[in-house]
Amino acid sequence: MADKKLQIALYWGAGCGGCDVAVLDTNEFILDVAALADIRLWPIAVDGKYKDVEHMQDGELDLTLYNGAVRNSENEEIAKLLRQKSKIMVAFGSCAHMGGIPGLANLCKKEEIFKTAYLDNPSIESRNQVVPYPQTKVEVGELEIPTFYKRVYKLDAIVPVDYYVPGCPPAPHQIKTVLLAVVGGKLPPRGSVVGASDRAVCDECQRKKNEKKVSKFYRPWQIIQDFDTCLMEQGILCAGSATRGGCGVRCPNTGQGCRGCYGPMPNVKDQGAKLLSAVSSVIDSKDPKEIERILAGIPDFVSMAYRFGLPASMLQRSFQQ
Amino acid sequence: MKECKIGVYVCNCGTNIAKVVNVEEVVESLGKMDGVVVARSYKYMCSNPGQEMIVQDIKNLGLNRVVVAACSPRMHEPTFRKALENAGINPYFLEMANIREQCSWVHDDAIEATEKARVLTSAAVRRVKYHEPLEKRSVPMCPATLVLGGGVAGLAAALELGDAGQQVYLVERENRLGGNVGRVDLTAPYLDSARDLLTEFITRANQNPKITVMIQSKLVELGGYVGNFQARVEDAQGDIIELAVGSVVVCTGYKEFDASRIKSLAYGWLPNVITSFELEGMIRKGKILTKEGNVPQYVALIHCVGSRSLEYHPYCSRVCCMTALKYAHEIKSAIPKSYVSDVYIDMHAFGKGCEDFYRRSTEAKTMFLMYEKGHPPRIREAGPDDDCGMFIWVKEQLSGEEIEIPADLVVLMVGMEPREDSEAVAHLVNISRDKHGWFIESHPKLDPVATTTDGVFIAGACSSPKDIPDTVAQARAAAARILAKIAKGEIWADAVYAEVDEDLCSGCRVCNELCPYTAVEYDKVKKRSHVIYAMCKACGACVAACPSGAIKARHFTDQQIFAQIEGVLPWHSNHVS
Repeated sequence: MADKKLQIALYWGAGCGGCDVAVLDTNEFILDVAALADIRLWPIAVDGKYKDVEHMQDGELDLTLYNGAVRNSENEEIAKLLRQKSKIMVAFGSCAHMGGIPGLANLCKKEEIFKTAYLDNPSIESRNQVVPYPQTKVEVGELEIPTFYKRVYKLDAIVPVDYYVPGCPPAPHQIKTVLLAVVGGKLPPRGSVVGASDRAVCDECQRKKNEKKVSKFYRPWQIIQDFDTCLMEQGILCAGSATRGGCGVRCPNTGQGCRGCYGPMPNVKDQGAKLLSAVSSVIDSKDPKEIERILAGIPDFVSMAYRFGLPASMLQRSFQQ
Repeated sequence: MKECKIGVYVCNCGTNIAKVVNVEEVVESLGKMDGVVVARSYKYMCSNPGQEMIVQDIKNLGLNRVVVAACSPRMHEPTFRKALENAGINPYFLEMANIREQCSWVHDDAIEATEKARVLTSAAVRRVKYHEPLEKRSVPMCPATLVLGGGVAGLAAALELGDAGQQVYLVERENRLGGNVGRVDLTAPYLDSARDLLTEFITRANQNPKITVMIQSKLVELGGYVGNFQARVEDAQGDIIELAVGSVVVCTGYKEFDASRIKSLAYGWLPNVITSFELEGMIRKGKILTKEGNVPQYVALIHCVGSRSLEYHPYCSRVCCMTALKYAHEIKSAIPKSYVSDVYIDMHAFGKGCEDFYRRSTEAKTMFLMYEKGHPPRIREAGPDDDCGMFIWVKEQLSGEEIEIPADLVVLMVGMEPREDSEAVAHLVNISRDKHGWFIESHPKLDPVATTTDGVFIAGACSSPKDIPDTVAQARAAAARILAKIAKGEIWADAVYAEVDEDLCSGCRVCNELCPYTAVEYDKVKKRSHVIYAMCKACGACVAACPSGAIKARHFTDQQIFAQIEGVLPWHSNHVS
């Protein structure tokens, strides 16, 4: 530490690992990172043990990029440990930011999840049907694995978070921006969402926008779309109007509706509710039966509207939980 | 934010609130809330001493927020806002909790009602902390008026405004002024000439330099808002004329019911079954004759053709009863030996002088036959040996018998219905129509000529069937409303309206179609939407819809509403498991 290299940690909580890959996607820049920083913990790429972190001084780490949500006791324990040891805690990617795709599990009970994953699953041999228990007695003693929680939490529900880097995954240029900001000491106010726009995706989207009236919703494969016109106007659900921009309009530019991974706009508490307002506002009918028919074109609205943010929404979970 | 010093005032409303809600308990509980400096109750908070109590507390205790727990804000919010203003603080620093309509009037259980009153009031306390001082804004009022329709309503409105020295553009689709009244000979019940009445109106309108009469013209577009409309009118030559007007009066009238829709009356099939307007035409020409050119001996008048029927129009067309009596007079005087029968359901003679007119008609030997609503008369051709052309079957109510009466000429008293273009007109000027297609007034009793669009008025039969006196009264009332606005010279917009934060707007245009008052406009150059505050009624449709949270409703911000919701919800902590 005498050379004052940046001390950083990267952690992978409940997530797919795509955020770690995104860091690698910065290509040669990762070598600059290695030159600028000591990577003290990065389970996917660098040897480093939790024990080493425990032995650090509080605040010894300059920066932790925490990706993934908090889904089990290990995620929570490490989140708290890294928080204690880090000057700056960054919720990195949609899962840490808002709960992400794993957060959709908040629509189901823990028992249902176990049933699907471990019992009622054709890829599991019948004699191996067993669900995980935190403690298992074996001959030599008791084995312990992390406890699977009833719910998925976003990172800041567990520990205070200094910055949020949105995206599923965050775009490589954003990752560079964040790291260089930390190196240069040019940090925005705490609590900021970093590397994203304050306007919605539509602002950067080049498709032409008209007054919207939708009389039928389509899945993207059900229609030959006009690439110059707003997807929503063509009946293809797009979360762009309810989602922070800054991603470079990645999905709409390839013909897919925005999936909402950059999260809600600065003033908005509940991204899915806003998307629901937007969708219900553009339906071109006043007849309840007709409206029902049009809405039937959206097979699973909750998963669409809260694809990345159910644990960050106002309801946070299904009432059954 | 400056420290909040909140005063809470809980009203007994005599016994209206106090008989169910334990007011003192609410006062005691609220007094302990964070930021509450004083909590009091009073017998009638809206009375002068009640208001004075608030004013004195603001002055003496330095209150900067006030919560009144009393009746509905619709009732007394203006009263208490005024009190705040009198005490020298912004009137929007007030919040009301409705513990009368929402508590004492709807609950019997005193304990639960008291708890609900406490919770609603504490939610108001949480909300009022986030209130912001708001100011009203004004826009200039253009004194010119666009009058749509040159019938008796449009003429009356135009003359009232023109005589007051204000510019009027009177736009009429047809090639003559006068509308439906111009198709009538005499008027009921005084048998004055419609022609005389109209000629005077039309001459005055044509001579008035302030009234620009545009016949064979139509409105094609109306933009802008109260005090500042831009109208595009297509004239007889097909040219578009742009007009700047501050107000619009819609006087587009009605059309008559198409009698051929009722098959049993044989209209369009038997040549001597005619409509009331066709009879007017004969009377104006001076000869009442059958199609064969004969003087009819038996004339029958059938009421409620298309009106008061579940199958056609359920409403009463209001003028046909007296018009039928007028025909009885006119036919009797034109053909003294004729027999006139009047086939009706009920005789509606409610207008001034009408009951007297009805009495005189019965004395003039008209035969009145009453038929049942569900059993309309049926008309058939007579045989070669009969001394009449047709027979009318009637299930007569007073005698209880089914009879047939002879007729050479049958006059169908066709009712009124909205014009075919009423939907298009409503869309053009942004007003609503009821289920029949009549234009809807702002309030049927208290605001009958205004509409939900500020600056657009309706007069005459375009809003429902009306006789000439009611039509003229409405037209003049609309003119008076407009003159009052012109006299003020500016339009004050309420301080509560929606506004777009252009730094957050992404131009997605979800909000554009939603506004019922067309207050949302899209700027194609900036690629942002904005709200024209003078047109905004603060309904919140765009605010809720805006997926970016870029539209804020002043006085109904998310922060204010969330604080209020949190006030009524018990607090749950997040426990990790």
